[in-house]
Amino acid sequence: MPNIDRREFLKLVGAGGVSVGAGFMLRESTKHPREYLIPHVVAPEDISSGLSTWYNSVCSMCPAGCGISVRTREGRAKKIEGNLSHPVSQGRLCALGQAGLQALYNPDRLTAPMRRNGEGTFEEITWEQGLKQVGDRLDLLRAAGRGNRVALLTTGVRGHLAQLFESFMRQLGSPRLLHYDYDHPHTLYAANQQFFGEDRLPYYDLQNTRLLLSFGADYLSNWISPVHHSLGFGESRQGPADVRGRFVQIEPRMSISGAAADEWIPARPGTEGILALGLAHHIIAEGNYSGADRDAWMAALADYTADAVAEQTGVPATTITRLADSFVDTAPSLAIGGGSAGNHSNGVDTLVAVNALNYLVGNIGQEGGLVFNPEPAGPALQQHQASYSTMLELAEAAHHGEIDVLIINGTNPVFTLPPTAEFESALAQIPLVVSLSSFLDETTALADVILPSHTYLESWGDDFPEPGVGFSVGAVSQPVVSPLYNTRGTGDIILDLARRMGSSSVMPWQSMEEFLKYGWQRIYQRGDSQTLAQGFDAFWTSVLKAGAWGETKSGNTAFSLNPDVIAGIGVAPPEFSGSEDDYPFILHPYLSPNFHDGRGANLPWMQELPDPMTSIMYGSWVEMNPLTAQQMELSEGDLVDIQSPHGQLRVPVFIYPAIMPNVIAIPIGQGHGEYGRYAKDRGVNPIQILSPQLEPVTGSLASSATRVNVSATGKRVKLVKTGGTSRDLGRNIIQTTGGSGVEVSSVSSNSIPITEVTS
Amino acid sequence: MTTPTERNDLGYNDIHEDVVRSIVKTGPKYYIALATAGSVTLLCFFFPWFYQLYYGIGAAGMNHPGVWGTYLSSFIFWIGLSHSGTLLSCVLHLTNSSWRKAMYRSAEAMTLFSLVVAATYVMVHVGRPWFIHWALPYPNQMELWPNFRSPLLFDVMAIATYITGSTIFIYMGSIPDFAAVRDRTSGWRNTMYTLLSLGWRGTDKEWHRLHWAYTFLAVLIIPLAVSVHSIVSWDFAMSIVPALHQTIFAPYFVVGAIYSGTAGIVTVMFVLRKTMGFEQYITKLHFDNLGKLLLVLSLIWTYINAVELFTGWYSGSSEEYEALGYKLFGFYAPLYWEMILFCAVAPLLMFSTRFRTSFVPMLILSIAINIGMYTERFLIIATSLSRQYLPDAWGVYVPSLVEISIMVGSFALFTTLFLVFVKIFPSVSMYEVKETMATPKIEPLAPASGSPA
Amino acid sequence: MSLFSRFLDGWRKYRKPGYYEKFDYHWTMTVDLDKCTGCEACMMACQAENNIPVVGEDEVARGRELQWIRVERYWEGEYPNARLRFMPMMCQHCDAAPCETVCPVSATYHNQDGLNTQIYNRCIGTRSCAVYCPYEVRYFNYYDHGWDSPLEQQLNPDVTVRGKGVMEKCTFCIQRIRQAKDLAKDDDRRRVQDGEMQPACVQTCPTKALVFGDRNDPESQVSLSMDDPRSYRVLDELNTDSSVFYLKKVDA
Ligand SMILES: Nc1nc2c(c(=O)[nH]1)N[C@H]1C(S)=C(S)[C@@H](COP(=O)(O)OP(=O)(O)OC[C@H]3O[C@@H](n4cnc5c(=O)[nH]c(N)nc54)[C@H](O)[C@@H]3O)O[C@H]1N2
Ligand SMILES: Nc1nc2c(c(=O)[nH]1)N[C@H]1C(S)=C(S)[C@@H](COP(=O)(O)OP(=O)(O)OC[C@H]3O[C@@H](n4cnc5c(=O)[nH]c(N)nc54)[C@H](O)[C@@H]3O)O[C@H]1N2
Ligand code: SF4
Ligand code: SF4
Ligand code: SF4
Ligand code: SF4
Ligand code: SF4
Repeated sequence: MPNIDRREFLKLVGAGGVSVGAGFMLRESTKHPREYLIPHVVAPEDISSGLSTWYNSVCSMCPAGCGISVRTREGRAKKIEGNLSHPVSQGRLCALGQAGLQALYNPDRLTAPMRRNGEGTFEEITWEQGLKQVGDRLDLLRAAGRGNRVALLTTGVRGHLAQLFESFMRQLGSPRLLHYDYDHPHTLYAANQQFFGEDRLPYYDLQNTRLLLSFGADYLSNWISPVHHSLGFGESRQGPADVRGRFVQIEPRMSISGAAADEWIPARPGTEGILALGLAHHIIAEGNYSGADRDAWMAALADYTADAVAEQTGVPATTITRLADSFVDTAPSLAIGGGSAGNHSNGVDTLVAVNALNYLVGNIGQEGGLVFNPEPAGPALQQHQASYSTMLELAEAAHHGEIDVLIINGTNPVFTLPPTAEFESALAQIPLVVSLSSFLDETTALADVILPSHTYLESWGDDFPEPGVGFSVGAVSQPVVSPLYNTRGTGDIILDLARRMGSSSVMPWQSMEEFLKYGWQRIYQRGDSQTLAQGFDAFWTSVLKAGAWGETKSGNTAFSLNPDVIAGIGVAPPEFSGSEDDYPFILHPYLSPNFHDGRGANLPWMQELPDPMTSIMYGSWVEMNPLTAQQMELSEGDLVDIQSPHGQLRVPVFIYPAIMPNVIAIPIGQGHGEYGRYAKDRGVNPIQILSPQLEPVTGSLASSATRVNVSATGKRVKLVKTGGTSRDLGRNIIQTTGGSGVEVSSVSSNSIPITEVTS
Repeated sequence: MTTPTERNDLGYNDIHEDVVRSIVKTGPKYYIALATAGSVTLLCFFFPWFYQLYYGIGAAGMNHPGVWGTYLSSFIFWIGLSHSGTLLSCVLHLTNSSWRKAMYRSAEAMTLFSLVVAATYVMVHVGRPWFIHWALPYPNQMELWPNFRSPLLFDVMAIATYITGSTIFIYMGSIPDFAAVRDRTSGWRNTMYTLLSLGWRGTDKEWHRLHWAYTFLAVLIIPLAVSVHSIVSWDFAMSIVPALHQTIFAPYFVVGAIYSGTAGIVTVMFVLRKTMGFEQYITKLHFDNLGKLLLVLSLIWTYINAVELFTGWYSGSSEEYEALGYKLFGFYAPLYWEMILFCAVAPLLMFSTRFRTSFVPMLILSIAINIGMYTERFLIIATSLSRQYLPDAWGVYVPSLVEISIMVGSFALFTTLFLVFVKIFPSVSMYEVKETMATPKIEPLAPASGSPA
Repeated sequence: MSLFSRFLDGWRKYRKPGYYEKFDYHWTMTVDLDKCTGCEACMMACQAENNIPVVGEDEVARGRELQWIRVERYWEGEYPNARLRFMPMMCQHCDAAPCETVCPVSATYHNQDGLNTQIYNRCIGTRSCAVYCPYEVRYFNYYDHGWDSPLEQQLNPDVTVRGKGVMEKCTFCIQRIRQAKDLAKDDDRRRVQDGEMQPACVQTCPTKALVFGDRNDPESQVSLSMDDPRSYRVLDELNTDSSVFYLKKVDA
């Protein structure tokens, strides 16, 4: 050994110790970069240091259109809360709505216009370059009378932006204006059109109903207007003294609404409408309907005896008759339908059947029932809603070289369309694909030019919520902070393009704000004499301050049923793609409560919010009935391959106590290939294996009609979840109190706004 | 009176020479040992600890609900080990058990160093050790005091007192030996031992006072040691966590501490005996007696464990019952059964005298007992925290590499301290070993002729 | 007063957990389990309001999530009669809080409003409070958590950002309480009115399952709500004297 004496040794030990310590201290001392204060000698407008300023605006995280109040400090948005004066949200918000801040401050935002260069990568360009390139092309096409070779594909926007799109496309002479969202309830609109003759959604008065039957509609989580429904739900439960609403949920896999319901009834997927008709049959057969058209109903529903329906749906006949009886006996009662029940080959018929139930017990136009909304005060354009078939047509047109320019705004069809639509290859066929997205999502990644728009918290807009709340409502969406990056408002981009293609005489507005004010003149004109006397500017300021505008005039409550409808009533058994032998399971894809149709997946808050039903975060899973799993010898975390006729996914198993044995469920939202660091390469997207099964009336995708096969892979992963054991083991943690004769309280939460609303 | 040495022909001078040699003469083996221990300490203890200080205690495996982990079980383990020495030494001193004399010095050193390692573990355990002084009551401008209701604060107090007491105890007992070494060394050593021996001359008065003070401290330290481990147990027992909230915890911890401490002594005795050439001083007799003590402790320990299980089962409450079942059959169950094997079953071998007087088997058993006892401390924390009142918050905790490395490193730290100790302290109490020997006859200077006078 | 009686007096106060004769305000929350849908809007509100960091997938996988309020879920029965019940669980602001007694440095203590406060500055990170808390609502910062720029621009300037080694938990949004009290004080030293201030979770709860207020005011919504016959406290048998009352779920 080397000759080390004690002295040497001590030196070495000392030196070692000192250098380790010194290195450590050096790292510590060099850790914090210098930060600078912002001098407020000349403070920016609206900013007083240390004081919060609140701006009212509109949530754009889902189509519900809740009113929001955004708290800002020193010019930064700090918190989004519900706008108390907005009738949809009434001061409340869902988790996704609150996480909108992370869309604004998302580290993966697109910060400047970009163009795909020769090497296929994006390079930054100026707005002038980008707008010129697109504008010139549009101008050329328009001048050549080939404006119809331009398509505009947008998320389902409402209000004046929708109108702007419409004018813009009219200038081009192109009919190809498509509003596309995965979750748009096409079948619900069609069913309402068929039954009520109205292409609008009615208002569901959950607050006052005493018995709600929900056929597949996850109304508390993703369906139509979850915050507003939750308000109604809360009010109905323990709100009014001595009354407590009862909720029954019919669906193959327990949703959040199913968990909140007093009774959860699994019916075979796609037979919800048959069940509804079973109820209707029993109501009439028991003599509980006495309308003049009773016989017509009886004839139409002859086949739907409780026993026959029980056979088809798997719901016991006694349950059917009990439900039907209490639906009649409890007034007011209400039946709603949608979600998975509407996403079958018989979707429209199913939802017509649900409407029929309401009709038979006289809920229509009644408090606690189904109330018609008045004509919206502002532009509301349902006719451009693009179904799956419409998207197929667009893709086909692109494949045939009929599309020269595609402008995409805020929708992500590459993610939300099944691959059978061949949308990705269609994009490749289009010479100029322009994306106005704020994020590099899967569709934007395939664009040729990106003209990034502001997030909703930086831009002007307005909204006329659909469905309304029984009276006319409008809300202005105003910027709450100055734009973070070199982005522009969607409306401003469209107006600029319109100018460049020489349409400034028809679309003369310099900015979206100006256009909005122009449009709101019409609403101002509806005001009473007092409002009119104060002038438009005062009206506009007051709308901005309140964040919402409303009229108390209710819609038309009178309703008479077209007799032809009755004869057409009937629900065929659902059709599934794939044979039962090869594909023994029915895939139930559902919108994740956290990510909606996937748009929330780039928000770290949403990724780290446990899924309410399973407590899983950050990934995907497939839900399976405990018995099925036991038969297949699967346990939590086992990776399985899910095979449909059109694709395959590998995903871990979660044993789910409330799902039918032959159904498996996968949440939609994860499985992004792009869309920023938080979303990318995480989980799976069940849309990718959906079969192109259609609902024939609307041409929409019957997304709950795919059969799959499940095979074990022998591999395992650990599910990332926060919940430990979700059985209370007799510890009486969640205490309950018995059924009838329950004393219910009338205490509800209190709110006095202390927030000063500033505009 | 039993004789502590195997050779009866030892003279006073032999003892002096043996012991002083162990201090002054340092072979390369010692340096290799010290360098190894020192670098393992740096590498396995300090480096990961600095890493953890820098990045945060997330470097360890703790989580929610397993907020406590091996750092705390190591802390209890080392506090437990500390009971080997001083406490035992005090008891044996007071009961006048002469066989203690050859071993107690190193046993006391073990106490001291275990306490040092335990105190270091406190720093490793807390999230912000740089503010650890806030747990001390010192007058300050803010008039902020620690929380005297907290069992953790009792702990701080108890351990501080225990360290102080043990230090004084070992130091005081060493004064005559320092003087003896002083008289046999030169140079800086002589200066050092001159200072350490506080001018000891060995007068009757000095011996008298030393004995008086020594006995006084011994009496004082016994309740202190008992209280220290009782208080450590209260860190847990004062909570309302199922399976931690136990009245039996104080005696359980004290017995456990003495148990693992005694096993620790056996291990150290064996090592000293082999490495320092103390075969004459540490004999079969010591192992036999320690073995008997260990056996008794093992039986008490087993009894308390059985009682704990019984009361848990008898309570019938879902929480206690679940915690118990989890311990026996849950995630950590293999460790539980390992503990039972090492601490309750294997020690039964010591009923055999042959086993007790065999060095290597006793070494193996003593190590096994301490592995079992470490497991016990780990399980107390891990199993209880995993299964508390709200099942939705249940979870498991698994130690991280950093924790395991620090655990290994802590043994190296202990060894390093011990190695430094043996070069400074006479590791066998010379004067007390001498006390047990017959007074040597003064040999006449003249060549022996005829019968002695 | 003699030195001795002063000492005795001090000692008595000291011995009594939450040693206030009567709290100035007695902030209390009720959770109506019959209304709660488990939507977790409350969790998001708390995360946004209180600068609770996102710890990341790996850390969650290790069980290191930070959730001042979490929604617990308990299944009952088997298919097809399975049901799921949710229970929001946050710090119960126990008036006899086990977590307070164990903190060696008094970093967590009871204040004059009946709140279990958490002083991040003072915390040395022993995590004993988390062990002692039977509701397991205390969460520990195992690391310094950053915000990917520019997400930090969202941080609430009224709430401290906690560093590594510090325990944190629901504060009943003390910053909002302070603000309301300050406003009330400036406004002629009146008392804070019922409903004037709401914690973030209560404020957002879409079903209005959460009610918050001052129990000292017998007219307050929360006083009425906690007197509901359905009212109970979770783990009441542990005598923590908690300030969160749950209203039983109705099985109808
Ligand atoms: N406008 C103005 N600015 C000042 C000063 C001034 O006089 N006026 N003074 C300056 C001086 S000298 C100082 S020291 C600083 C002080 O500045 P800060 O340290 O910011 O002091 P505060 O605003 O009193 O309290 C900070 C926050 O702690 C919260 N808080 C109160 N009690 C508790 C508790 O028990 N637990 C937790 N977690 N939070 C609690 C309060 O709600 C508040 O949001 O301000 C400086 N800046
Ligand atoms: N209720 C309550 N009490 C508190 C606190 C709290 O938050 N709430 N905070 C505490 C803290 S952190 C602090 S630092 C103290 C601060 O307590 P103080 O030091 O008392 O602070 P101020 O009242 O801000 O200033 C004292 C006086 O200095 C005067 N002054 C200003 N400029 C000058 C100058 O240039 N020269 C001279 N000679 N006088 C000047 C002011 O007019 C004022 O009268 O308060 C403590 N007390
Ligand atoms: S439901 Fe939620 S996401 Fe949708 S608009 Fe309302 S707050 Fe926004
Ligand atoms: S926000 Fe309200 S309804 Fe939603 S989980 Fe929280 S307490 Fe329950
Ligand atoms: S719930 Fe837990 S943290 Fe909150 S006061 Fe009670 S014991 Fe302390
Ligand atoms: S973690 Fe902090 S607050 Fe909790 S007991 Fe330790 S020092 Fe006190
Ligand atoms: S009261 Fe405030 S701190 Fe507590 S859970 Fe609610 S939002 Fe979070």
